[in-house]
Amino acid sequence: MAPKEPQAAKGSNMDRIEGPRERSFLERLIESSKSVLKSAGSLLVELRHARGAARIDIWGRIGLFIPALAGVFIITLILSLLMYESAPILLSPEGGPGILVNPIWAPNQGQFGILVFIAGTFMCSGLAIVIAIPLGVGGAIFLSEFCPHRVRTSLRMVIELMAAIPSIVYGLWAFTSLRFWVAGVGESFLGISLNGLSLLSGSLILAVMLVPTVVAVSDDALQSVPVTYREASLALGATTSETARKVVLSAALPGVGAAVVLSLGRAVGETMAVLMVTGNSLQIPLTLFDPCYVMTSIITNQLGTAYVEPLWRSALFSVALVLMLMSTMFTIAAKLFIRWGMKTRGIK
Amino acid sequence: MRVRAMRKQAKPLSETPETPPDGAGRALHTGSPSTPGKGTVFSKKRVRSARMMKDSLFKVLLAVISVVIVLPFFLILLQLASAGLGEVLGSGLGQGIQFIDTNPGPGLRGGILNSIVGSIALSALAGAVGIPVSVLGAVYINEYTRPGRVKNAIEFGADVLAGIPSIVFGAFGLALLVGGLGFGFGLFSGGVTLAFMMIPTILRTTEEALRAVPVSLREASLALGATKWTTTWKVTIRAAFPGIVTGVLLAFGRVIGETAPLLFTSGNSLGEPTSLFGPGSWVAALPYTIYLYISDPRDYLKAKAQGTAVILLIIVLTVDVIANYISRKVTRRLV
Repeated sequence: MAPKEPQAAKGSNMDRIEGPRERSFLERLIESSKSVLKSAGSLLVELRHARGAARIDIWGRIGLFIPALAGVFIITLILSLLMYESAPILLSPEGGPGILVNPIWAPNQGQFGILVFIAGTFMCSGLAIVIAIPLGVGGAIFLSEFCPHRVRTSLRMVIELMAAIPSIVYGLWAFTSLRFWVAGVGESFLGISLNGLSLLSGSLILAVMLVPTVVAVSDDALQSVPVTYREASLALGATTSETARKVVLSAALPGVGAAVVLSLGRAVGETMAVLMVTGNSLQIPLTLFDPCYVMTSIITNQLGTAYVEPLWRSALFSVALVLMLMSTMFTIAAKLFIRWGMKTRGIK
Repeated sequence: MRVRAMRKQAKPLSETPETPPDGAGRALHTGSPSTPGKGTVFSKKRVRSARMMKDSLFKVLLAVISVVIVLPFFLILLQLASAGLGEVLGSGLGQGIQFIDTNPGPGLRGGILNSIVGSIALSALAGAVGIPVSVLGAVYINEYTRPGRVKNAIEFGADVLAGIPSIVFGAFGLALLVGGLGFGFGLFSGGVTLAFMMIPTILRTTEEALRAVPVSLREASLALGATKWTTTWKVTIRAAFPGIVTGVLLAFGRVIGETAPLLFTSGNSLGEPTSLFGPGSWVAALPYTIYLYISDPRDYLKAKAQGTAVILLIIVLTVDVIANYISRKVTRRLV
């Protein structure tokens, strides 16, 4: 059901703009199910009259419908299973929805607050986005507007390969190299010895992993801006960089927005690389060099142990539920950005 | 001022001031990819105002950013080469050819054959489940539905599925396949969990590939009296085949590097899997092995983790390069 709701919302929104034919969600649902039934009925009638090849044709149409629904079915299954598994903690007196704002995680003492992890995820991904967006969008502008053709091909190839590198390999690199550089910087600032397992290391490796996505999506958006826009701006006397910044970038803004939101979704869900370098300590980090604990890490580290303890397991599944809802929200937001772009800019 | 601003076209414009506007536009279009190099940007003659200065500074800044972006890729390759190639090319116990054709053995001093076989088995099973589902689904939405609710819902579903964090898939696999349905840890649970992750990638790329097949091909087949079913399988899918292969390869490249979904579903083992279900089906995978080895306090295992990462990276990048090569070939042929 969940995936359908936003559609209905979008639909009603459009209706309001278009005119008077505003109908309730229920009427809409009844109507569409009626039409589905009607077409299913006509399909069966056809099937009875068809012979030979035509019969295969109709069976094929019915048979293909099932795999097509697999994606929607899996999402529904994941969502309902996560809700079912996290129900015990959300309904029990020890937990309740209050665990979302409770900062104490001590499953052995009946404390299941997950605020530390939510805060850790937001800080880590937020910082990563702040690093990755200027780099990614800048790189995309360079690729799309200024780069010589030959360099462009090889740069894009490297960026595509970077997107293909598994997160465990990024994690390995961060664990064996990056964190020591971060530690070095931290030591020179704070004057204490550090191991580099920190919020900053996590954000940096996350930023490295996000940049390819940001570049690829933003580059596509910039490329889809008609060349006439650039010509018009240049003809008015703007320099190429002014054109790139004020005309092309603003025309491609929805696409770039979609890139930001999409990569935010990936940042929140990233598991292995972040797990290896954030230090996984139960605290809300106060400086860049403090360790933190993100939502994906707590599931990875404790789900195996907690599986036999109902409340503990349920608390971890509620973390997974929060993750799932967040990623779905980001996907919807990215789609809305694209829709906004098509409406205001006429650009796909 | 105007001529100066458009210094790329400065020459043609000053020579023939009456160039029609569309001619200038074309010159601009062809000129834009080949920006003059940094040397010319900085030459004194051209930098005439603060705006020009800003213009060239902006370009230099962007060039620097682009270098910074791709730098980690080379740093990673360098680090893996310095720390991991010793395992892959060395000649000690469990190094060189032994690294990829023996099992870990006592003290994990041997090779990583179990993980290589495990990764291949897991992704093969994931493909066996995921490819038919997603290709057939894409055929349905592209060939059998008109744009509307159903199509939107399916596409939206695929997009949401693509965004779900991999650890959530892992938890889902644990709760549904391992616990709920009672398949237990092993090849089946791990492979099916990975199959769920393959669906969005293959579905979307197959859809793109089918959309790129010209309608005239389908019309020609239908006009000869073929049914929609025959047309789809004998004409449309054949034309779209390279695109579908690209999507499948990209999906393989993605799932073979996934760790989180396997943590709670595939178990782990020091040998190759012997069955699809039950205790014999517990299976190791390359990314999980890297994680275990690097978390281990023993020093020689850290080197083995790097070596495993080299093998994994070689597999993933090869698959990705082949996929890119095919897709580039295809787009060139279709255009």
